[in-house]
Amino acid sequence: MRRASVWIFLAYLCTPSFALYRKEIYKEDLRIQSLRDGRVSTTFSFVTVLEGAGPRNPKALGQRDESQHYALFPLTLGQILREYAITELHLTLNAGKWNYDNWGHPHEAEVGTGAELWAWMGASEVTTVDERWSGLRNALSGLFCASLGSLDSRRTLSPTVAFPLSGSTPTFSPHELRHASLPSENVCTENLTPFLKLLPCKSHAGLAALLNPQKVFDADWHGMGVHVIWKEDTGIELKLSLQAVFNPVRTSAGKRRDWNLQSLFDRSIERSCPVASSSSITVILPEEKDHKITPENPAYVDGLAIYDLSSSSNFTIPSNIAMYWPSEHSFQYPLPPLTPITPLSVKRTIHGTTQTRGVLSVSVTNNSPQEISVGYLEMMPALITMWMHTLKVEINSQIRSDLLSELKYHPPSPQSNDRFSPSMLQAVLTIPPKTTLKISMEVNKAFLKYTEHPPDAMRGWDLPGAVFFPLSQLSHNISSSYDWERIYTPTLLVDLPTPDFSMPYNVIILSCTLMTLIFGSIFNLLTRKWVVMEIQE
Amino acid sequence: MNTPPAFSFLVCLRLLLAVLPLPGQNLLKHDHQLSSPLTSNLRLKEGLWLLDNNIDPYTGGSFHHSPLLLSVFSTIVPPLPIIWAISDAVGAWALLRIWHARQGLSFQKGTRPNVENLITSVYLLNPYLLLPSLALSTSTFENTLTLLALMFASQGKVSSALLAIAFAVHLTSSSILLLLPILMILVSSPVSHLASPRPFHGNLKRIPFLFGEFTLYWLVLVGAACIITGGSWSWVRASWGATLTLPDLTPNPGLWWYFFTEMFDHFRPFFLMVFSVHLVIYILPICIKFQHDPLYAAFLLIGVLGTFKAYLTLADPGLFISMISIFPEVHGYLRHPIITTLLHLHAALLLPLQHVLWVSEGRGNANFYYAASLVMGMAGGAGLVDACWAGMRIAVGDAKEWVEEKVDGEKGKDEGKVVWWEVVQQ
Repeated sequence: MRRASVWIFLAYLCTPSFALYRKEIYKEDLRIQSLRDGRVSTTFSFVTVLEGAGPRNPKALGQRDESQHYALFPLTLGQILREYAITELHLTLNAGKWNYDNWGHPHEAEVGTGAELWAWMGASEVTTVDERWSGLRNALSGLFCASLGSLDSRRTLSPTVAFPLSGSTPTFSPHELRHASLPSENVCTENLTPFLKLLPCKSHAGLAALLNPQKVFDADWHGMGVHVIWKEDTGIELKLSLQAVFNPVRTSAGKRRDWNLQSLFDRSIERSCPVASSSSITVILPEEKDHKITPENPAYVDGLAIYDLSSSSNFTIPSNIAMYWPSEHSFQYPLPPLTPITPLSVKRTIHGTTQTRGVLSVSVTNNSPQEISVGYLEMMPALITMWMHTLKVEINSQIRSDLLSELKYHPPSPQSNDRFSPSMLQAVLTIPPKTTLKISMEVNKAFLKYTEHPPDAMRGWDLPGAVFFPLSQLSHNISSSYDWERIYTPTLLVDLPTPDFSMPYNVIILSCTLMTLIFGSIFNLLTRKWVVMEIQE
Repeated sequence: MNTPPAFSFLVCLRLLLAVLPLPGQNLLKHDHQLSSPLTSNLRLKEGLWLLDNNIDPYTGGSFHHSPLLLSVFSTIVPPLPIIWAISDAVGAWALLRIWHARQGLSFQKGTRPNVENLITSVYLLNPYLLLPSLALSTSTFENTLTLLALMFASQGKVSSALLAIAFAVHLTSSSILLLLPILMILVSSPVSHLASPRPFHGNLKRIPFLFGEFTLYWLVLVGAACIITGGSWSWVRASWGATLTLPDLTPNPGLWWYFFTEMFDHFRPFFLMVFSVHLVIYILPICIKFQHDPLYAAFLLIGVLGTFKAYLTLADPGLFISMISIFPEVHGYLRHPIITTLLHLHAALLLPLQHVLWVSEGRGNANFYYAASLVMGMAGGAGLVDACWAGMRIAVGDAKEWVEEKVDGEKGKDEGKVVWWEVVQQ
């Protein structure tokens, strides 16, 4: 009897953990596309879906959390998401400028230079959103070995229109966005290693076996992303992505644009990842038919060649996938003038010769025959002051203020310890077909205390790029078939006026001497009595 | 009203300058010598834009002007250059009337046109005052209000004087230095007693009542500012707080900016306190020593402000320099006017040069400009110390006068002896 009750008790103990064991799906995919300037864009995406799971309700943060058991979902990331009750998380670490005009839109839209982190969190009385945001930054910077801890209140904003929730909106509490970017962050091997550790097969099997840091970080453009999205009907989806733009013309001696997996990554896939429910390599075929692709047994769908690598498929793992142009002796770069691939091209610069002020100028070109309306977002650190009254919108040197609408400007707001959050400018631009719209405004550069300058003060400060985002079709009745996500402009580098860093003592001494000299002279005079004395000779 | 010929001519010229399009005006507006973050026209316009767009101008940390200026320029008149020209004209006129009051002349007589011409020209042609005014810096209004307060005080118009100084203190809180001498002028007289010092001659019991009246005006202005900003107090921190905490370290000809750029973080609050208290510490000693001539005490305190103020611009020493013209009696007793002039010349030439070299050309560094600002500090200090000296030295008079006095007084007893004067410590 007693033994039976012990068994029942043990069975009771085990029940909840079994009930929590959810179905997890892991899929991986590699997309390879030859670009028109001879480069090759590769996009890895590793998706883990935690079916039926939902984000943690932040109101329950004070209580004990349910235990976490994952088979494929990375526990380290899961713990962070539960600890800070994150509904949606996006982290990207990129290096280089994405060349929209020649490469088109990237498969993963978040290509802003440096680090970018944004998270949607439910509001709660237990811990504030800002406290959890600070914890999240520090936890992620520990997990990915990146300086995300410096994404503090001086860089944090809440641009909800440009960065909406990608998944479903939970009903348990109103949600808030925190967004921060650090354009000067460098991406390197120390970030890739923890990234690979989050994958169920690490880099031992499956597509991730191709990720050779020496090759990936030699690419002209490279970046990685972590996206956690909750969708009501599926569950929590974790997408780890890695994009790289290789340049075979540069690396091959014969100046040819031929590529194969071995030459791109210097690695090959020995075995498929056994837990992956799907694993595929998709080659996007160029429109011109003068290329050859080997092995010649892929499934062709709409100009795509798909190689299935999953262990359940009947295919054997192709040892190497290659694309080559047999009739081409050496690659001829397309000659200018090139028409940009994307309907929208953006240039953003800061003019001005002095270190104290300049003119921020953004020119947006609509290459398509239709009118395009886009959202424009500037998130400027408080060391740059944008003079909004000097804002000008021009087409061919004619002022066209009517093309800028729904202007929203948030000046920098004071934070704790005399810091200011960035200023935010958001507007809707309407660009007529085949024209260039120019926005310009005067900016001032701040004079900082000598302790606020970075150690390499003369290098200057990186400013985050502007973001152009599509307007939701509902609010703006635009009959445009142009489907795209955000466009990031390259970052800017501004040189701020610097004080002399060796002078603190000298300045204190010299200024105080002058003050005491004048103070002393005046009080010397004021405390004297004037009398006339006779001097007998 | 009998105005001197130079006044009408120069005011016309000044109005013409305001109306004509000047080629370098945009450069002037951005010049750090002529306008500080607290007085810059660019920031005023930005504040007006923010107000138009229903954004609180004081949250952004870039706008430090008083809400009163904001409301005047957003509702009554747009910030046109002509207003700065009129303000200059009013300032010159106020300076003239102060001089009249000091000489005990009624304005209608206008007996000494040469001096009047000189005073007008010294005010309207002073480059330290003209250039900031062309740069549309709001320091022009502060100077005019200070002069108006002194003028009304000299004429004995109590309420107007207190209202004017309340406005001046509201626009720039460091003008509070001038409150005590203005109260003293109101209860005594502005007439020159430098040559014949005497204990304070006036009804001291009135001072608390006058101070109460000033406080009332000041509170009304604060209340008005709060109503304008919609009940928010953020403007106090942004406008008055800026002179105490120095959030913006834009270079200027003063001593504060580089000191606090280079200051160690843990000493900042201490030295901010020291620099603020240092300004206030001059009030009582100067007012006690010059109790026989409070207008001269006010002049010396304007000199203190023109040397040690936070966010100093050239307009501050400019007011001190122009005011020297209404004290002709001390000119003969200045010890080193040439050195002071040369120091000012040195600073005025070096400041823009070193600023361009550092900020635009990138050839020099911040120390060059700092050195020039130290020379500016020396020039301001030299003028102040010399004015202080001359104001006391005049009481002793010339040695010759003393000889004659002795001769008269002692019936030729000491005749033939050479009598020298000498200063001895108390």
